[in-house]
Amino acid sequence: MQLDFATNLISMLPMNILVLMLLIPLVGALVAFILGGKGSRAITLIITTLEMGLAILLILGTPSLGSDPGGMSHTISHMLARLGTDSSAPVFEIILGVDGLSLVMILLTNLVVWIAAISSNHIKESKGFYYCLFLVLQTGLLGVFMSLDLIGFFIWWELVLIPMFFIIGRWGEEGSRHAAVKFFIYTHLGSAVMLVGFFYLYFQSSMFNTHGIATAIPTFNMIALRNLGLDPWVQIGFALAIFMGAGVKLPVFPLHNWLPWAHVKAPTPGSVILAGILLKMGGYAFIRLGLWMVPDAIARLAIPFAIIAIFTCIYAAFTAMAQTDMKRLVAWTSINHMSWVLLGVAAYAAGSGSTNPAIQAAASLALQGSIFMMFSHGTIISVMFIVAGQLKYNAGTREIPDIKGLMAKAPKLSAVLILASLAAFGLPGFSGFIAEALIIFGSIVVFNWSAVIGFGIFITVGYMLWMLNRIVFSDPDPEKEVSEASWNDLIAPILMLIPVILLGIWPDLILDIVKPVVDAMLAGGAP
Amino acid sequence: MLQLDVIADSLRLLLLPLRDLILAYVPAGWIMSLPAITLVIFGIIALVVGMRYNPLGISFIGVILAILEMVMFDPTVMSGYSFGNLFVRDAFTDLFVYIVLIVAFLVLMSSTLWGGDKGTYNFLLMISFAGALWVVMATDLVALFLAWELMSTPTYILVALGPRREAVDGATKYFVMGLLATMLMLLGVALTFGVAGTTDLSALSEYVNTLWASPIGNEPAAYTLLLAIVLFIVSFGFKVGIFPGWQWVPDAYASADGSVTAYLAGGSKKTGVSALLRILMIGFFFAKTEWAPLIAGVAVLTMVIGNVLALAQKDIMRMLAYSSIAMMGYLFIGVAAANEIGMAAAGFHAFTHAIMKTAAFILIWVMSYKLTKRITYDDLAGLSKRAPAAAAMFAILMLSLAGMPLTVGFWSKLVLFQSAVMADMWWLALFGLLNSVFSLGYYLRVMKFMYMEEPKDDSKLDLPLVPMVAVAICVFAVIALFIFPNVILDYAFQAAQIFFP
Repeated sequence: MQLDFATNLISMLPMNILVLMLLIPLVGALVAFILGGKGSRAITLIITTLEMGLAILLILGTPSLGSDPGGMSHTISHMLARLGTDSSAPVFEIILGVDGLSLVMILLTNLVVWIAAISSNHIKESKGFYYCLFLVLQTGLLGVFMSLDLIGFFIWWELVLIPMFFIIGRWGEEGSRHAAVKFFIYTHLGSAVMLVGFFYLYFQSSMFNTHGIATAIPTFNMIALRNLGLDPWVQIGFALAIFMGAGVKLPVFPLHNWLPWAHVKAPTPGSVILAGILLKMGGYAFIRLGLWMVPDAIARLAIPFAIIAIFTCIYAAFTAMAQTDMKRLVAWTSINHMSWVLLGVAAYAAGSGSTNPAIQAAASLALQGSIFMMFSHGTIISVMFIVAGQLKYNAGTREIPDIKGLMAKAPKLSAVLILASLAAFGLPGFSGFIAEALIIFGSIVVFNWSAVIGFGIFITVGYMLWMLNRIVFSDPDPEKEVSEASWNDLIAPILMLIPVILLGIWPDLILDIVKPVVDAMLAGGAP
Repeated sequence: MLQLDVIADSLRLLLLPLRDLILAYVPAGWIMSLPAITLVIFGIIALVVGMRYNPLGISFIGVILAILEMVMFDPTVMSGYSFGNLFVRDAFTDLFVYIVLIVAFLVLMSSTLWGGDKGTYNFLLMISFAGALWVVMATDLVALFLAWELMSTPTYILVALGPRREAVDGATKYFVMGLLATMLMLLGVALTFGVAGTTDLSALSEYVNTLWASPIGNEPAAYTLLLAIVLFIVSFGFKVGIFPGWQWVPDAYASADGSVTAYLAGGSKKTGVSALLRILMIGFFFAKTEWAPLIAGVAVLTMVIGNVLALAQKDIMRMLAYSSIAMMGYLFIGVAAANEIGMAAAGFHAFTHAIMKTAAFILIWVMSYKLTKRITYDDLAGLSKRAPAAAAMFAILMLSLAGMPLTVGFWSKLVLFQSAVMADMWWLALFGLLNSVFSLGYYLRVMKFMYMEEPKDDSKLDLPLVPMVAVAICVFAVIALFIFPNVILDYAFQAAQIFFP
């Protein structure tokens, strides 16, 4: 989707739109820190709204497959360091550029951050520092989705950790410090292993001749690395490295332990950003670094990945059912849903190499579903977390058995909760349904046994409805005080429900942007 | 054309008259050692002046003059040798000399707090700085040994002079282990001389080349040289604080006064690195396949020891001491890689570690002096409320030591690990990375206490200005070098190139 007036507007901007989008929050962070107190919230709202506008402008004015190398648009590079004294020495760079896949993730980032900024109204302590970190976080997240160079990617990826660590630890509830440290170390461990994978690619890219002497300048540029012929064993190694880095973020079964802690203990906006975008960084890394850059690597491990994904889905659904804390339940829902992304990725990786057009079409469907799942989950889970956080203020507790008769006492809050829960388990008409349907239609052609994941849906519906039954549709307990949420608190989740319903009715809004990229990937990658 | 050359050139132009004056009166064989000689002269002046007045100003002038002399006499346009062929200045030497001089300046700034007003203190520091310069410049094993003693001996006394009771304990341990290391070094020199018949490193290099080309029949000579290599690694490694000579580090660092600790960690430690690099890469270059695995093993053990023990500490000074052991383990990854990028990475890491650790030690020392107690994690609680600027600076330093982006520590670790991968030792890079993750355990704990715990005592903490300015300069450099790493990295690569002509 490309509109001429938006393209013209982008070209009228004083600098590259991507650089502008990265710089605005950084400058805003500084301003917010200096203002402190009340002014910082206003400036954050202005900046996140501006960023949201820029994201919409960007998505309207940019083709999914641009004219720059690799099908990118707005490519720009900045050299960070040169390893050597002559001009032929290898360099560390930040290369920015967007294609349809990045566009969708950038829109999601700005949307979720905007909503999280609106729902930060319960943050009362050291506001200046909080909003400063918040805006730095936005820069880091945007950088990850724009980056086309492995070192730049890694820098942004790590940059996200620092503000998130402080937000969880400082503004979270009891026990948040432990959660913050756990979050930081888990993700950093994954990134460290991933970095070795990056280095290995770099090492391979110098194309050694028979005497072991490099014949080309080694590079970290993702587009240049795409045509690398790797040894099968190295491919498995690289796939495992990606799995460690992206799998921690996503998260999948053996690497998921940090998530319930971090999500539950973080303040509400922190949980929203964690679940809404940080998890998508994992999915994005699987797609961009795995499927897009070195597709053969993921294909080697497609079957184990699919099995892990299905197991994670069912395991997380059962665990979610056992939770009594509302926020913890929502956190486990995230794990449950993000495993679908991995299933889509695995199905695409296995199917894309096939010569049978039917299987190729299914692979394309699965990957589109994965990307759609990331967007849709990002919006739905934001609403769920805001409502879960809100229960603490209106019902005095988040313990599901202790909240009774929400429908009678707080109908507006209940309505939002019901809509979000229905969307989360994938009722037709909401975006969650489209995502799950696309992934399962695609993956079932590639791996017929992946239908087992349907059992996961079954449990998800079960625990969601059971939770609604206990909280919303139970009889009010006269001893427990439950009040209605104010409009101030409801504005953020209601705004976020708009894309949830809109995408359920009109999924092509996102799919049209994604599809050209997936088709180009299936055809062997845009030049 | 490197990035700081513009500044150096304009300084040279400015100092041209002074340069001609010095060239006219000072013997040509001394010119390149002039910075070290200046430090000795000003040290003696400071000792004399210190009997009546505060001699710190003299020391400052001496250090600044030494820096100017470094800039004035450019080894690329005139001969870099001094005192015959015993000492040399080249790109590699200059990198480490500037590290020592920058640390020296920062240490003098921090000694305004304690000790700087005494003549002996200044004298010992200046003599040790001069020795450090000569250690870096030495190309001959005997000259190296003499310079080594000139550098080490004053530091034994400086540690013992510390204001705390346990200073003497730390100094004794340092002294005994230092003597042991010196003896081992002497044995290494003797073995080398006995076999090769020379103590000059470039002559030794030629001997090793011929010996390694035809080892058959010369096995005793080769094995003796291998023993000498081990002895050199152990004895210089003692100063650097790597396995197996690391035990004195935490005791001496935690008990000495903070300025001396900052010098030990930032300055004299780097001279050990430079001396070892020069011996291995010039003297024993052709025996690389023999010592590289040994260094890799040392690096692994050092990282593990440093990180595991740092995690167990309560005292911040001791934690920083152990973390500094671990950091040297990372540095030796680059040495083990023994390629051009590895040498450059080691040099760059030496520079970044010097500024990070000097600043961290000075900051904690200032706090400890102000609160008149040893700083533990509990004392850091709520520091962000009591002294926001100090807390922010310490947090940045911790992030940098942990190797997070936005700080220069990220680049120095990245280049080190990359060098290991380029040398086909990806397992060593992985090991370093995992250790780096492990080290978050104690770096994050600092941040947790500073930003997330409530202080026991809400009063504001006023920290003295001059040492805090020294810390602020380092923190500024830590961030600025993330954005422009090539300012220093280019010099490190230039330094590395002298090993690969």
